[in-house]
Amino acid sequence: MDFNAFKQAVIAAAKAQGVDEYELYYQSGETTSVGVFNHEINEFSSSVSGGVCFRCIVGGHMGYASTEDLSEASAQSLVARAAANAAVLETSEQEFLGEGGKTYEPLDLHPYELPTTEELVDTVLKGEQAVLSADPAVAEGSSASARTSKRVIAIANSKGLDLHYENNTATFSVEAVVTDGTEMANDYKSKSGPFAELDLAELVKEPVEGAKAQLGAGVAPTGSYPVVFAPKAMAGLLRTFSTVFSGETVQRGLSRMGGKEGETVAAPIVTLVDDPFYPESQMPINFDAEGSPAHKKNVVENGKLVTLLYNLKTAAAAGKETTGNAAKASYNATVTVQPFTFYLAPGDLTEEDLLKKAGNGVYINSLGGMHAGANVVSGDFSLQSAGFLIENGEKTRSVKSFTVAGNFYTLLQQITAISDKVELPGFGGISAVGSPAVLVEGLTIAGK
Amino acid sequence: MISRAICEAVLHKAVSTGADYAEIFAENTLDHSINMVAGKVESVNDAVIAGAGIRVYKGLRSVMATTTDTTESGLLRCAQRAAEALGQGAAEIDICLHERLYGDIHPVRIVPSTVSNQSKIDVLKEGCFAAKEYSDAIKQVTGTLLDVDHNILIASSEGLYAQDRQIRTRLMIQAVAEKNGETQTGAARPGRRMGMEMFEHEVNAREAGIHAAKQAITMAGAGYCPAGVMPVAIGNGFGGVIFHEACGHSLEATSVAYGMSQFTGKLGQQIANPKVTAVDDGTIPNAWGSINIDDEGTPAQKNILIEKGILKSYMIDKFNGRRMGMPSTGNARRQSYAFTTTSRMTNTYIAEGEDNNDDIIASIEYGLFAKEMGGGSVNPVTGAFNFAVNEGYMIRNGKICEPVRGAALVGTGSEVIQNIDMVGTQLDMGQGMCGSSSGSIPTNVGQPLIRVSSITVGGR
Repeated sequence: MDFNAFKQAVIAAAKAQGVDEYELYYQSGETTSVGVFNHEINEFSSSVSGGVCFRCIVGGHMGYASTEDLSEASAQSLVARAAANAAVLETSEQEFLGEGGKTYEPLDLHPYELPTTEELVDTVLKGEQAVLSADPAVAEGSSASARTSKRVIAIANSKGLDLHYENNTATFSVEAVVTDGTEMANDYKSKSGPFAELDLAELVKEPVEGAKAQLGAGVAPTGSYPVVFAPKAMAGLLRTFSTVFSGETVQRGLSRMGGKEGETVAAPIVTLVDDPFYPESQMPINFDAEGSPAHKKNVVENGKLVTLLYNLKTAAAAGKETTGNAAKASYNATVTVQPFTFYLAPGDLTEEDLLKKAGNGVYINSLGGMHAGANVVSGDFSLQSAGFLIENGEKTRSVKSFTVAGNFYTLLQQITAISDKVELPGFGGISAVGSPAVLVEGLTIAGK
Repeated sequence: MISRAICEAVLHKAVSTGADYAEIFAENTLDHSINMVAGKVESVNDAVIAGAGIRVYKGLRSVMATTTDTTESGLLRCAQRAAEALGQGAAEIDICLHERLYGDIHPVRIVPSTVSNQSKIDVLKEGCFAAKEYSDAIKQVTGTLLDVDHNILIASSEGLYAQDRQIRTRLMIQAVAEKNGETQTGAARPGRRMGMEMFEHEVNAREAGIHAAKQAITMAGAGYCPAGVMPVAIGNGFGGVIFHEACGHSLEATSVAYGMSQFTGKLGQQIANPKVTAVDDGTIPNAWGSINIDDEGTPAQKNILIEKGILKSYMIDKFNGRRMGMPSTGNARRQSYAFTTTSRMTNTYIAEGEDNNDDIIASIEYGLFAKEMGGGSVNPVTGAFNFAVNEGYMIRNGKICEPVRGAALVGTGSEVIQNIDMVGTQLDMGQGMCGSSSGSIPTNVGQPLIRVSSITVGGR
């Protein structure tokens, strides 16, 4: 059955089982993706997915259960499982179901027509050709892919909340693999938006140049240097450590931002913004996972922590209002707290100015191993890096297989310059992180 | 699950436009998890994941379509989508399915879904409380007990109709210690491909909690690891993540078939130090990464990947095997029906060597003992890998000295496996979730104590 019919079945089951405070969260997606290798479409996939998460307050506790099987029998067991899961909880914090907001900011979705399957195929074949012919160093194995995605989110609860959201996106991605005969290197680029606006020849330049720049890389010297992080490297770092600004993380004693609202936590040039309507976001949305209105806010302003991020439960525990940051990692996950598009506000210097300011140091183009080399509790990180040496204010030879080490809480204070252009790398769904390039003093590089 | 007759009809539809192979992968999974924070049960969640993925091949082209509607009509519509996407043509093969029964080499005595939440909470509390009570320096403990009941059915145009039930249980405890205003973490994450009987003889929840607490306290009192190139001894168990990242991923057909691996075309060649023999074995009874059959229905195998430094085998699935002209090695895996299957690891380890553990430590004048590793990642194209050291100690003059924190190891796979020049004798395994294009799957990593003669250590 479809979601609306299933919703009625679940509501009837809840009534029959004596569950009167409940919520359904529905998410569905339709994705078509096409990949090419050796001038032939080698992968095509068409997926339809979706499910319903049911949660209910029983005895003051919130139980969860979810399913992808939208049948009558499933509706009965969904309610029973969630109620049974609520029965064993031991938390003392008050649980909430959202009542929604009086108003929601209007959404400006700029809908565009998704490419047809034929257009997807045509674009990846042309994209592969563009990357293969971009440079003599490009190797077979370079590839292109394209996907379209239609997403629906709906929330309905016993407090009368009834919200619906739909959004479509189309994304083209290219991987450039280059070789100099002895070693290989690769780099990626993705772009979302109407395919009619894609300039393939232009788009493939960046990954081709990025991959070529890695060839023949030397080893960075070990020591403490000024470091310039490229926008995508800094965005990766911010994404990993964004949880330190979550009220939930703070209340669990897993972040050092606890009790710091109103205090200085970063250098005065640092302003961190959370914006659900960021223009380049692929999924701008005007309500959070509890149905509260979403809005733009400064989390850190000129170095001062303005607010942590909250949902209804963590806000109540802190004696505050929700910031509209309830989130779900997937439709079947429990509600947590997360930013929408989280970014470091731009400064007024160019990237070249940052290099000049650094003088002699290291430019880090990419960081790896975030899930392992960064400890979000202590703030310590030691991460695989690749990039360039900075000599006399300019990028010179490329370096790889080194690490950059520091502590995120200290790094916020060590930022001495910020470039003027925010980049939003990757395709993050509702949650995305962006950054300009930044100059940081006092980090340790481990190379040779 | 889905009857043989329905599968035949759906496969007929799937090959109707000229596919030379078609496959149905249907799934019904129950994921259950209990979370504890600060001594209290914070959340209990369970999720039913149910759907099917239909793949068709023609030569080196593959098409997949997925659906959550596993009724006959839903599956037929899904097969129709796959067939249409493949192109236009007429059916060239016939379908006749025979049920195949594989023996279960991973018996489960206590199916987790038949155990009450309360009994599971008792186990979780035992672990979490043991960590909290270990020392006043432990400020926070979080714990998760999760179990997965993963039922799969695979039917293919080659006549296969087989089912498997994969049950897994895992306990995860993280402790946070604070000393002089510095916080550090410690963790234990034991898991098995078995049910709740895991806690009777294989895993002791209390010991797991104490392990996490001890590690957090040791690291909270530690100074930063110095940076530089040095010899490193890597402990057994989860230390095997070094092989998994530095070499394992680059031996998967998903990279090798496309020439996107440092090891493409190197079968029979010396790629590693002669001390290194490496194995991927999906048949170890009840091990975390074990399977009866892979997600294309091929029985799990024990594959010798590297024997005394010589490359013997890749890890191959059927589709990439076509491009390579090689048969499947039983390594086709996917997180769920919604992901496209590819070649993945199961239980991957460096086999026991002949070096005495004490000799390995004694051989290092100045270096690092990475007693317990964290996770890592690799770019198979370049071989550049990284992983974190969760618990490390300096070695001076052949002796293990003070603990150090914040260390990471980086390098290139083809180099590091040449530099593994001592291999100890006590093989142990550690459990992880491995992420790649076909999703997140359970894998074991393992090794005895090893020495890497020279590697870049990131610290400060």
